[in-house]
Amino acid sequence: MPTAAPTPTDSRPASDYGGVVHDLSRDVMTSWMNQLQAAARSGSPSAYMMVSGNCVEILRCFDILPVFPEINALQLAIRKKALPYILKAEEIGYASDNCAYVKADIGYTLSEGVGEHGPTPKPSMIVCNFVGCNVYIKWFEHCAEMLDVPLVMIDVPFVRQGEAVQPGDLHYVIAQLQGLIVACEELTGIKFDIDRLREIVGYSARAEEGWSRAKDLCKHHPAPFDAYFDSINMMGPINALRGTKEAADFFNAAVAHYEQMVAEGIGATDEENFRVVFEGPPPYPYYRNFRNLFANWKAVCVQSTYSTVGGTWEFGFRHDPDRPLESIAEQMLVHNLCNRTMQERYRQIQRYVQEWEADALVIHSVKSCRLFSAGQGDMREYFTKELGVPTLMVESDLEDPRYYAEAQMKNRIDAFFESLEYKRLREDAR
Amino acid sequence: MQYAAGVDIGSTQTKAVLMDLSRAIVARTVIPTGAHVIRAGRRALEAIVAEANVRPEEVEYVVGTGYGRYKVEAGDAQVTEISCHARGAQFIFPGTRTVIDMGGQDTKAIKTGPDGNVVDFCMNDKCAAGTGRFLAAAADVVGLTLEEIGEVSLKGTKPIRLTSVCTVFVESDIMNYLAQRKSVEDILAGVHQAIASRTIGLVRRVGVEDEVTFTGGVARNIGMVRALEEKLGTALNVGPDSHFMGALGAALFAVDKLMAASPRTSEIDASPVWSDG
Amino acid sequence: MTTGEKIIQECRDLIELLPSQALLAARQKHPGLRGLAVFPVYAPPEVIHAAGLMPLGLFGAGGKLETTQADSRFQSFICSIAKSTLELFLCGDLSPENGFEGAVFSSICDVARNLSSVVSRNAPDFYIEYLHLPQNAATEAARDYTRREFHRFRANLAHAIGRPITDEAIAESIKLYNRLRELVSELYEHRRVRPGTIRTADLFAVVMAGTFMMPEDFIPMIEALLAELRTCVPVQRDSVNVVLEGAFCEAPPIDLIDSIESAGCQIMDDDLAIGWRLFSRDVPATGDPVANLADAYLTSSAYTSVRHNNGQPRTKGLLQRVHDSHADAVILASAKFCEPALLDYVLFRRTLDEHDIPHLKIEFEEKMWTFERLRNEIETFTESLLFD
Repeated sequence: MPTAAPTPTDSRPASDYGGVVHDLSRDVMTSWMNQLQAAARSGSPSAYMMVSGNCVEILRCFDILPVFPEINALQLAIRKKALPYILKAEEIGYASDNCAYVKADIGYTLSEGVGEHGPTPKPSMIVCNFVGCNVYIKWFEHCAEMLDVPLVMIDVPFVRQGEAVQPGDLHYVIAQLQGLIVACEELTGIKFDIDRLREIVGYSARAEEGWSRAKDLCKHHPAPFDAYFDSINMMGPINALRGTKEAADFFNAAVAHYEQMVAEGIGATDEENFRVVFEGPPPYPYYRNFRNLFANWKAVCVQSTYSTVGGTWEFGFRHDPDRPLESIAEQMLVHNLCNRTMQERYRQIQRYVQEWEADALVIHSVKSCRLFSAGQGDMREYFTKELGVPTLMVESDLEDPRYYAEAQMKNRIDAFFESLEYKRLREDAR
Repeated sequence: MQYAAGVDIGSTQTKAVLMDLSRAIVARTVIPTGAHVIRAGRRALEAIVAEANVRPEEVEYVVGTGYGRYKVEAGDAQVTEISCHARGAQFIFPGTRTVIDMGGQDTKAIKTGPDGNVVDFCMNDKCAAGTGRFLAAAADVVGLTLEEIGEVSLKGTKPIRLTSVCTVFVESDIMNYLAQRKSVEDILAGVHQAIASRTIGLVRRVGVEDEVTFTGGVARNIGMVRALEEKLGTALNVGPDSHFMGALGAALFAVDKLMAASPRTSEIDASPVWSDG
Repeated sequence: MTTGEKIIQECRDLIELLPSQALLAARQKHPGLRGLAVFPVYAPPEVIHAAGLMPLGLFGAGGKLETTQADSRFQSFICSIAKSTLELFLCGDLSPENGFEGAVFSSICDVARNLSSVVSRNAPDFYIEYLHLPQNAATEAARDYTRREFHRFRANLAHAIGRPITDEAIAESIKLYNRLRELVSELYEHRRVRPGTIRTADLFAVVMAGTFMMPEDFIPMIEALLAELRTCVPVQRDSVNVVLEGAFCEAPPIDLIDSIESAGCQIMDDDLAIGWRLFSRDVPATGDPVANLADAYLTSSAYTSVRHNNGQPRTKGLLQRVHDSHADAVILASAKFCEPALLDYVLFRRTLDEHDIPHLKIEFEEKMWTFERLRNEIETFTESLLFD
C-alpha cells in the first residue's frame, strides 16, 4: 500500500504558540497582576470595570487600579479552573443558561474572597461602563450587592442612528464621566488634573497606533501573527493597561518584531494555506486544542471581531490629548465592537474579508455571550448566501468547559477545510 | 487487481465498502462497533476482503471516515463523514444537490456540488438533539420498536404537539398524552413532525435544492421520510443502503487516490481528484 | 353569557390572532388603519397613536405560528419570543402589505438588540426603530438625554409615515392612555381585594388584548367589564396569595397562568405586560407632551428587570410589591433563556430568603403544550404552604 497521505491527523505536533510578543505581553500583564495582589493586601484604591469601551484613563488619573472581572474569568477558563466556580454560582441560583463569565467570576469571588483574605482586591467602587452588553449591568449590580460596594453607572447609548456620534449622546456620556471624576476625587482625595489626563490619553493613543499598525501587518502574505489566537497578547495591554507608558512601549516592541517578520517573509505558521476571519470569542477552556484544529490545516486568522471588543482602532480612531474627555466618550459610544449593531458587525467582517484577503469566515458561537451570538445564524446566512463567502459556524462556550465537544468540533472543522480545499482544486483546474 | 476500501466507524456500527477501479462495489459489510474501535475497523476490513475473496495487499488504498476515522489502522487518509456522505449520496443519486443525513447522534444538512463535493453544511447543535436517539426514546415509551414506529405514525390523523425535542423530557410528555387518551398513532405522528420541523430548519440554513437525498439510519423510517417530504414539498431520494453512504463515499475517495497515483489508469474517469490536504 | 363574560371571551379570542389579523379586526372601526409593532418592554404608545397608527404589542407569536425560518437565524439557546418575532417578519405577517409601518425595539437585553438589527436587515423596506432607554437616572443630563431620545423617535416616525405628529395629538393620546392605565389598575385592584371576581388568566387576556386594539375601543370595554365586576360577590378561597414576577417581556402561555391558579395560587400582583401599564400616575398632557412622557419614564415608572435604577435596586421593588399586595409568596416565572429574569432570580431569591418569603422558580416557553410537570411543582409548593 502507498504511504500515508499528508492528511491532517491528530498526531501532528501543534506549533509552538509562544514567541517574542507573547513573552513581552506576559511581562507587562504579570506586573499588573502583581500590583493587583499588592492592592489586595494594602487596600489601596481599586475599581471594577468592564473591558469593552472602557474609560480606564480616568481611573489612572487618580491612581485607582482597574480590576476587570472579565479578565479574571478568562484566566480561570484558560487555566482550566473555571468549572468548580461555575458550579458554585449555580448552587446559589444562577441558571445553566446564564453567562458563564458572570458565574465563574462570582463563584470565584464567593469562594476565594476579596481583599486581604483573597487573591484580588476588594474594589473601592464598581464602575459599570454599560457599553452594549446588558449582562454587564446585572453582573455589576450583583457584585455591588454581594460585596456591598457603591456602584457608579455609566450608561452609554447604543449606536442606533448612523455611525456619527450624536451630540445628545456625547453630552450624556461626558456628564456621567464628570460624575465619575467627582466620585474618584471623593474616594482618593486627589484633585482632578486635566493635564495628567492628557498625558494618559497620549499613552493610549500611542498604544492604539501600535495596535492598528500590527493589525495592518496581517494584510501581508503570510500574516506575521494569528489575529485571533495571538491577539490576546495585545488585547491585555490595550484594554487593561491602556493609558500607561508600559502599554505604549509594549506596542512599539511588538510592532517592531512583527515588521521584522514581515520583512523576512516569516508567517505565523510555517506555511500559510488558508486565511480566515474569526467572529466570536474563543473557547478559552480549550484554547490550544481549538487552535490546533485550525493549525492542522495551516489556517491562519488574519482578522477577528473579538479582538475589537475594546476598540476598533484599526479603522483609525485614536484617543486625543487635545480633547481627552470627548475622545474617551467617543471611544465608548462608537469605536468599539460591543456598542454597534449586528449589521455594522457584518460590514466590519466584510471589510476584513476583502481588505485582509481572507478565504473564509469562521463563526465561533458561544452560548454565554448573547451580545455576540444572538443572530449569528443570520450572519451565516448573509455571508454564505448573499456574499458567497464560505462560512463555518461552530458552537461551544468561552468559559464553560461543558459545552466543548472535541470530536464534533474537529469533524466540522475538517469537513469545512475539505470543502475549501476542493473548491481551490476546482479553481486551479480552470 | 487494485482495490480501494472505505471504512466508516460510527458510534454504534462500523461499515466497510470495497471497490474496484471502475467504481463497482465488490463487497460490503456492517458490524457492531463495540468497545474496541480499532478492532472493529480491522474486522470490517477483513470481512470485505474475505467476502470479495481478494488478497489483502490488493487493497491498495483505505480511507477512514466517521468518528473513528483516525482509528482505522490501515487508513491511508481520513475524510470526514460529511464529505463522504455527500460523495456517496451523489454516486447513488447523481442528481443530488442536498443531503439530509440523520443518524443516532446528529443530523446534518449538506449542500452538494455537481461532483458530490460539499458546498456548505450545517449540523444540529447540542440542545436541538432531535435525532435518532429521540425517536428511540419515544419508541420506548409507547412500547414499540424503532422499526415499527414509522409505519404506525403514518396512521395518525391528529398529531399531538410536543413542547420540545428534548430527549430528556420526551418521555414524560408522551406519558402525559397517553394519560389524556391520545392514540399512539397521533403521538408518534407528532413526534415525527416535531423532528421533521427541526430538520427543515437545519436544511433551510444551507438552502434546499432538488434533488434531496435522505441518508443515515433514520432514512429507513418511512414515517420520517413522509414527514420530511410533506414539509419540504418534494420527494426524497431514499435508497435501501442509505446507512452505507459514508463508507461508500470513503471508498470513492480511495479510488480517486489510486487513480491519481497511477497515470496508467487515470484516464478511466476524469472525475476530480481529492487532495491530500 | 353576561356582558363581562362576552368581553373576556372577545379578549381571549383577540389574543389568539396574529398581528396582521388583529390590525384587520381594528379596521372594522377604523378603515385603512395602519400599525406600528412595539416589542417589549416599553416604547411610548402615545406617540404612535398620535401618529394615527395602532400601537400593537409585539409579544412574539406564542403557539400560533410554526417557527420554520427563524430557527436558522437564532440558535437553540435564544428565547422563543425573539424567534417567533423574527418569524412574523420573515413569513410576511408583519409587513407593509399587511398594514404595518414598522416596529420599535428598545435596550432591554442583548437578544432584543441584535434582533432589531437582524429584523431590519431582513425587512429593509420597514421602519425599524431602536430606542436606548436610560440606565442612569442620576444626572440632570439623563433628563435631557431621555427627552432627546423620545423626540428623536417622534421625528423618525413622522419622517417614516410622511406626516407630522403634532403636540396636540400627542396630548390627546396621553389622556386616552392615562385613562386606560387607570382602568387597568382598577382591574388589578379588583383582583387583589375582591378575590374570585376575576381570574388572572382573564385579566391577562384583557390586558394583552388592550395592546391589540385601539385605546378608544378598549376603554369602553373595560368600563363595561368593571361595571359588572363591581356587582360580583367575592369568594374567599383556600389559596396561597402570590406575586408573579419575571414575565415582563415574553408572555407565558395563558394555560400556564390557569395552571398556577388551579394549583391553588391566588395571584395578587404581577409584571405581565408591564410596559403597557408602566406609569404609577397620570402623565401631564400640558406643556411639551413628549418631554412629559420622557420625564414620566424617568420618575414615575414601575421597576422592571431591564432597567438599572440608581440606589433603588429591584429587590426592594419586589419586596414593596409583595408588601403592597399582601402576598404570602412569590412565583418567579421566567421565559426559558431569558437572561435578565434568570439573573434577577439570584438576587430575588437572596432577598426573599432574608425576609422569609417563600418562593418558587418556574420557566416557560411559547411552544409549551403540556403543563403537568409545572402544575405538579406548583401544587407541591402550595401544599407546603397551606399545610405548614
